[in-house]
Amino acid sequence: MSLDEFVQMSLTGVNLGLMYALIAIGLTLIFGVMRIIQYAHGELFMLGAFFLYYWFVEWGLPYWLGVAASAVVIFVVGALLQVLLFRPLMGQSILYPLAVSMGLIFIISSGGLLVFGTTVKGIPSVVSGGTMVLGAFYSYERMVISLFSAGLIVSLWFVLQKTTIGMAMRAVSEDPEVSALQGIRTRRIHWIAFGMGSALAAVAGCLMGTLLSIVPTMGFLATIKAFMIVIMGGLGSVPGALVGGMILGFIDSFVTTLVSADVAYIMSFVVIFLILVFRPSGLFGQQWD
Amino acid sequence: MTSDQRFTTLAWLATLLAALLLPVLSGFDRYILHVAITITLNVALATSLWLIWTLGFISFAHAGFMGIGAYASALLFTKLGWPLWAGMWFGALIAGAIALFISLPLMRTRAVYFFMASWAVGEVIKRVFAYYRDFFGGWDGIFNIAPPKLLLFGLEIDFASRVAYYYLALILCALIVLAIARLNGSRTGMIYWSIHQNETLAQHIGIDVFRHKVICFTVACIFAGLTGALYAHYHTYINPKSFDIWKSEFALVHIIVGGLSSIGGPVIGAVSLTIVDELLRATGYFRVIFFGVVLIATVLLLPGGLETIPGRLRRLIRSGERR
Repeated sequence: MSLDEFVQMSLTGVNLGLMYALIAIGLTLIFGVMRIIQYAHGELFMLGAFFLYYWFVEWGLPYWLGVAASAVVIFVVGALLQVLLFRPLMGQSILYPLAVSMGLIFIISSGGLLVFGTTVKGIPSVVSGGTMVLGAFYSYERMVISLFSAGLIVSLWFVLQKTTIGMAMRAVSEDPEVSALQGIRTRRIHWIAFGMGSALAAVAGCLMGTLLSIVPTMGFLATIKAFMIVIMGGLGSVPGALVGGMILGFIDSFVTTLVSADVAYIMSFVVIFLILVFRPSGLFGQQWD
Repeated sequence: MTSDQRFTTLAWLATLLAALLLPVLSGFDRYILHVAITITLNVALATSLWLIWTLGFISFAHAGFMGIGAYASALLFTKLGWPLWAGMWFGALIAGAIALFISLPLMRTRAVYFFMASWAVGEVIKRVFAYYRDFFGGWDGIFNIAPPKLLLFGLEIDFASRVAYYYLALILCALIVLAIARLNGSRTGMIYWSIHQNETLAQHIGIDVFRHKVICFTVACIFAGLTGALYAHYHTYINPKSFDIWKSEFALVHIIVGGLSSIGGPVIGAVSLTIVDELLRATGYFRVIFFGVVLIATVLLLPGGLETIPGRLRRLIRSGERR
């Protein structure tokens, strides 16, 4: 492996890792605040990508505005799902929300096949060209995507640490009852967190939409990746999701280039398994009961 | 015997009788027999998954272990010519051995992490089948797994016939359900439920929690392996996709819709949802959508699942009498 190959794979790894982290952070936020497993997270990722496709390709509206609009729309969809389907199940066995989100996967992905059709769609990239970094080609498109994801993750971090609503979210994930006693409206925090997590998935869908082909069944792969990451990093932990995303991004980039995609996939599961054996709650996680 | 117990016994006997008479009642209809065989296999899978649930765990690797049983039995047949009668037990044994080996590290994780970790195990099992093309046949799978023949008192039974295979699957399924019911009713079953309710407390009163978890998981996976062998020889063709994460998820859905608190839950859940799924087959794309709607509606509108229906009805009748 020469230096330029190494740089190339590292750049791809960082790029993939940041986008994976974006999906996973949404999932981990939802789990942390509500203690539910949102198995249909990838379906919202898919809906976000499709919204941008219709906005940008079919209706010809501006790209970046479409990303924002997609985030807003999916925020509303996520908040509605929380209020209608997940709120009645609060405080019950974790299996019931899991079953509901499985039902959502069935409905949204097959409904997607009906509504959007089975033909593969794509979003043309808005940024072209690229530059050479230490002998490796780095396209401006990937650079923009990486910077945008990184900026979004940093601003989310800022929201969670500094703003009132972010602190309320962290309080609810720490102890729902005590935070309710302190006057935090936990029910409102729940739908806001659910909406925010879904919106992050939608943005990730928009960004990856230019790199991937868009099909209604693309959601499940995103769910798999997001889950692999949050297990590695620890459920409910945002830094864990970032680190997990990077690990997965690098495995995908390096092993796929050097060996094959199948081996990369098996290897990432083996890595997860080993992490769980030595740290049963993930790298940064805590023990949930 | 209280009226509740009498009702439960009667319900089980009625189910068994209906299952035994089904081929005659349906006029030996090939399609209905196919659905019935699918139901028995689903019941066996859901019930053994429920056994793990009595510990408080949900395993997403369950279809994977079913796959191990299926592949072992199928390979023994296609490569060495062993019939189902031998391959079945070997499949179950191999599934159990792998389950034992994997559960040692797996059972260190708890709650949510367990089903995430088991999910990884399930995916790895499937991918290993897909990756080793020469040995496991890759994504194409294994073909030509013939159903067995049995020479009984000079009378040859060919299990290529669906009626014969139905009875074979039914007997095995009934034995699995019976074994799990007996296990659940025994002292060991009570230990499992005590671990389910409070693991730390169970440990403090002297229960070797880790050992019980490992044994329970292994036993459940042995049953899954048996089911897998039956599946392979019925369909005569298997591929890694037959045992992917969706298979485990459907078994989980059967348990949740049926009910989690007694062994009747997985049975009624697997029977009714398999029938619903078959009824919806004609609706094409809508089939999966309807299935999702049925699932969400049951969870939201019928907390506790289908197994609570008799109790609800009884309460309804009693409150009617009082008026």
